[in-house]
Amino acid sequence: MRIRTAGVVAVLGLALAASGCGNSGSDKPAAKESAKATGGKLVIWADDKRTAALKPFAEEFGKENGVTVEVQAVSKDLQTNFVTASQQGSGPDVVVGAHDWIGNLVQNGAIDPVQLAAEQKSAFNEVAVKAVTFNGQLYGVPYATENVALIRNTELAPEAPKTIEELVQTGKKLKAEKKASEILCLQSGQNGDAYHIYPLYTSGGGYLFGTAANGDYDPKDLGVGKPESIAAFQKIAKLGEKGEGALKRSITGENSIATFTSKKCAFLVSGPWAIADAKKANIKYDISPVPGFAGGKEAQPFVGVQAFYVAAKAKNKALAQEFVTNYVTKPELAVALYKAEPRPPALTAAFDQVKGEDPDLAKFQEAGKNGQVLPAIPAMAAIWDPFGKAEAAIIGGADPAKTITAAGKTIAGQIK
Amino acid sequence: MTTYADAPVANRNSAGKSRSRWFAQVGWRHLVGVLAVAFSLFPILFVISAALNPLGTLSSTELLPTGASVENFSNLFQKTAFAHWFLNSLLLAGVASFASIFLSSLAAYAFSRMRFAGRRVGLLTLLLIQMFPQFLAIVAIFLIFTTITDLYPAIGFNTPWGLFLLYMGGALGANTWLMKGFFDTLPKELDESATMDGASHPQVFFRIMLPLVAPILAVTGLLAFIGAINEFLIANVFLTNTESKTLAVGMFGLVAGERNNNFGMFAAGTLLTAIPTVLVFQLLQRYIVSGLTAGAVKG
Amino acid sequence: MSTSPSGPGSATQAPGREPVRRGLPRISRSARNHAPITATGLVVKVILLGLVVGIAIWAAFPLIEAEHWVGLGILAVTTAGLFYLYLSRRHIPAKYLVPGTLFLLAFQVFPVLYTASTAFTNFGDGHRGSKDDAIVAIQTASVKQIPGSAEYSLSVATKGDPATGPLVFLLSDPKTKEVSAGDAGGLRRIDASQVTVSPTGKVTAADGYTVLNFGQASVRSKEITDLVVPTSGGAVRSNGLSRAYEGKAVRAYDAGCDCIKDSESGKTWTADEKAGSFVAADGERLTQGWQVNVGLKNFSRVLTDPKISGPFFGTLAWNFAFAIGSTGLTFLLGMAIALALHSPRMKGTNLYRVLLILPYAMPSFAMLLVWRDMFNTDFGLVNNLFGLGVDWFGQTWSARLAVLLVQLWLGYPYMFLVATGALQAIPGELTEATSVDGATPWQSFRAVTLPLLLVALSPLLIASFAYNFNNANAILLTTEGGPFAPDNPTNGATDLLITYTYRLAFGAQGAEYGMAAAVSIFIFAIVATVSAISFSRTRKQEEVYS
Repeated sequence: MRIRTAGVVAVLGLALAASGCGNSGSDKPAAKESAKATGGKLVIWADDKRTAALKPFAEEFGKENGVTVEVQAVSKDLQTNFVTASQQGSGPDVVVGAHDWIGNLVQNGAIDPVQLAAEQKSAFNEVAVKAVTFNGQLYGVPYATENVALIRNTELAPEAPKTIEELVQTGKKLKAEKKASEILCLQSGQNGDAYHIYPLYTSGGGYLFGTAANGDYDPKDLGVGKPESIAAFQKIAKLGEKGEGALKRSITGENSIATFTSKKCAFLVSGPWAIADAKKANIKYDISPVPGFAGGKEAQPFVGVQAFYVAAKAKNKALAQEFVTNYVTKPELAVALYKAEPRPPALTAAFDQVKGEDPDLAKFQEAGKNGQVLPAIPAMAAIWDPFGKAEAAIIGGADPAKTITAAGKTIAGQIK
Repeated sequence: MTTYADAPVANRNSAGKSRSRWFAQVGWRHLVGVLAVAFSLFPILFVISAALNPLGTLSSTELLPTGASVENFSNLFQKTAFAHWFLNSLLLAGVASFASIFLSSLAAYAFSRMRFAGRRVGLLTLLLIQMFPQFLAIVAIFLIFTTITDLYPAIGFNTPWGLFLLYMGGALGANTWLMKGFFDTLPKELDESATMDGASHPQVFFRIMLPLVAPILAVTGLLAFIGAINEFLIANVFLTNTESKTLAVGMFGLVAGERNNNFGMFAAGTLLTAIPTVLVFQLLQRYIVSGLTAGAVKG
Repeated sequence: MSTSPSGPGSATQAPGREPVRRGLPRISRSARNHAPITATGLVVKVILLGLVVGIAIWAAFPLIEAEHWVGLGILAVTTAGLFYLYLSRRHIPAKYLVPGTLFLLAFQVFPVLYTASTAFTNFGDGHRGSKDDAIVAIQTASVKQIPGSAEYSLSVATKGDPATGPLVFLLSDPKTKEVSAGDAGGLRRIDASQVTVSPTGKVTAADGYTVLNFGQASVRSKEITDLVVPTSGGAVRSNGLSRAYEGKAVRAYDAGCDCIKDSESGKTWTADEKAGSFVAADGERLTQGWQVNVGLKNFSRVLTDPKISGPFFGTLAWNFAFAIGSTGLTFLLGMAIALALHSPRMKGTNLYRVLLILPYAMPSFAMLLVWRDMFNTDFGLVNNLFGLGVDWFGQTWSARLAVLLVQLWLGYPYMFLVATGALQAIPGELTEATSVDGATPWQSFRAVTLPLLLVALSPLLIASFAYNFNNANAILLTTEGGPFAPDNPTNGATDLLITYTYRLAFGAQGAEYGMAAAVSIFIFAIVATVSAISFSRTRKQEEVYS
């Protein structure tokens, strides 16, 4: 009986299976054929904002050329996921990201150099081209630049301060008159923010990496922990919680723009991304370069560049190259991306086109004119965390010399 | 609401003392409930206030909304694929929670009622595997699913079924432990007598044990549902197509842009995310509070 | 425990239809063997096994097509194993365990083992792929356009069928207007009379060739990328589908010396198989490296690097306090509220329950961010509400307290739900019996409810402890491990072992997965030991009803 049951079950099961696989067998080849009938497929990975902006253009590119284009958003850890996926062979053909990824993407063999014709190259802003150049090769096609500036509420502070001391004076006066509750909105948080404090650090005389003979940053010459950096942070400490109270750990990335738009502080150090909120809140504002210390060096913000890269393991590399070198270099796309998110386009023609409609753009570019290109060398990854924490500790009142020396040691230990 | 249990108590009550007795027996329970609800809800008030704030900041200085507008909600549906995410999440969480409680209840039954070689080792292994940090395993997941996507695109990257399979890998994890604990509280005489009466082991499992642990199945199902709705880490690497994303992934994208975030839409989405969970909970309430158990134990 | 007379080999006993087999199942289970096979059971079995075969056959075709014989073998063995298991009457526990276990093996055990194996390698940024990958990357990255060479307009063409014919590059030089055809054999001039060139300089038609449009060409992308037309100075390569350039790989791999040579500077980098990099005589290494086995190096670094082992015990102690605190507090609060609401006379319990699970229903990362803002010194609600000026996340103990409070808020609804479920499952008679005996509610709780709750929940408490021990999100989204001592930015007061060591592994120049895996194994060993010990204590409770 037992055996018979087993037999019946097995036979019936097989019969069922046979009917099931009849179906699966018939629809498989059909699916394959339809995939072959159309052109190739191009997959682009970007973050959420850019995905939305790119979609219509990517689809148009697809329609024009008889290919399928998919723009996909990776919300978190785009860079890491791109590297991991690429290496396993399930990555995209094109990825969109900040230029300071290049060092890491190259060391993992995840992207290929792009070849731009001389006249294509010259159409771009020089800084942008420099930013995407790594080890003498061009690794991405830039489309936008970004840097921080000082945004001020012109109702509270009609004049642009020339020095940070002047700014603090105005801010303190406003605070005393109860017109504002904060002197300056420069985000730090409990663990610091190296990106936003950088103009003050350079104005105080500090630097991150020296320059090698070929013009690239030199990871062996680390400026953090050097006497210049200590001097810079001593100046920053005077603005901190135990000093003027202009820099505070309680001002974070989440609340700095909100505090500015609710008119609680007259000055905000932020980038083009803050403008939309200021407009929405009907703030009368103006944009000027971040001021430096009186008698100090120039305050230089970081200049970052957003770029398109061709994946080294792209399944459709020829199409990816075509898209990146010949389509992304068109001003129309740059203008559209600007409209999705107002960052100055890297293409000079596109920049000139939107400059007229948007005076803020020129002001941001002016503020970033003396900026430093964010280092793209892999060693930069070791800077952010210790540097930020040292900044936060010093703002909170820790001894600058001791703190920054410790940070320098930690960073040096992590650079290979 | 008078039940057998209250009857003798009620009889002993004298009318004059009823208020203080009411407090001693029921009132304090409400007090605890209200306090607990207050503790639960006040951070959520921020989310509500941010959702209604047209400027869309998640700043906790203002507990009450500074402006009331549904702009964030309408944007959510017009500018993002929120409706897609919502449906994907419902489908995935629904199917995954159902399948996972099924798988884990099977295993829990074996672990609770049967004695076999490797039982305790198996239980411990189940626990220990959960302890390995998941985000390190992402590399391996890419490895597996790159192969699967090549061979079977229908269950590969960007498909709900692939993600479903992955979630099933975790089905035995904590749920088995939870259910095994509850199976352990059921008297063994129950299934033993059923067995003596000639019931087969599937019959004992499906007809006797499962109905008895209905409250637990409901609780576990709800937990699995919430877990699947909120799962982010794996879904984020798995689903890159805008339309195939789940709520957790899609919504994270709203605040993940570099340095400029849309907290307003995000807050609105967060509130909407809670709705299916609350509905499922409502659906399961009657099992959670059912008197089934008591009745069955008597018989 | 019921004592059944059936020993090994005992024959038909109950309304049996067939002889019982020997050995398994033991003692009290034996009666089940004699249960009749019902029609429903049979049908279900047929359908399920049918599905198994169906899926197996569906899965087999792509494997055969890809000639993936190992995969096919595994598939066949798994399918046969399933058939054996469910058609046989033995191995009853396995019938219940196998479905979940299959998924567990594929999607949890395998990833864990794979990850653990990387602990013995230098796997990480710069060392992800194989040596061949690194060589390809180095050579590709060194391709430079030959200075002064022409930049061609490209049309991809074939001789014959667009989908299968051999590929040819039709190149036109915009300056000289010369057109040539190039393939692996080299460049050949084509007479201007044989081609049509568009005003933009692109060849649109040529005698004897089929010019492909983008759609057709994009399908053959790989062939186009691989097609290199040799020239005297280097080679013409495609750049997309409409341009080509004459370039040269400056660096090339030489198998003879196992090194990379730079033809411009003459520098060589020799392969260092221990480090997985190409290193020059002056110590300079190329950034593109490969994955190599490093043995126990990662493990010994965990033990010997003072930066890792120095703050280890302090962090470990806080890690335990955090895990125990998170689990204990959420359990106590969740259980207390569940008990308070567990009364037949309570009205509105439904509403309470719905509101109470809301914290759990919200995405936790959103709520962690809200809580972080609430503890802000100047703008946070906690300070504003109570008129405090506490720098919550800036001081060791206030930060730890804050983190635990957040954990309590996030986690107690879970415990509340589970305790509610457990209370419902406790037979009412038991508590009634004690109250009839005159016990106070507290006594009856201690004597009846709590022990039963613990039977149900203690495994869960262990699981919850284990989860919280590694709960990196709770820390990363709130304090990020801080506050940090000014002179030590690598170890903070609220750091868990996992957040601390990952900062070391991923915060450096490029992520070091191998290192992170080694650290995980250490942490894993600690938690596993603790859990195993507490688990062995549950044995007693487990046998309450046995």
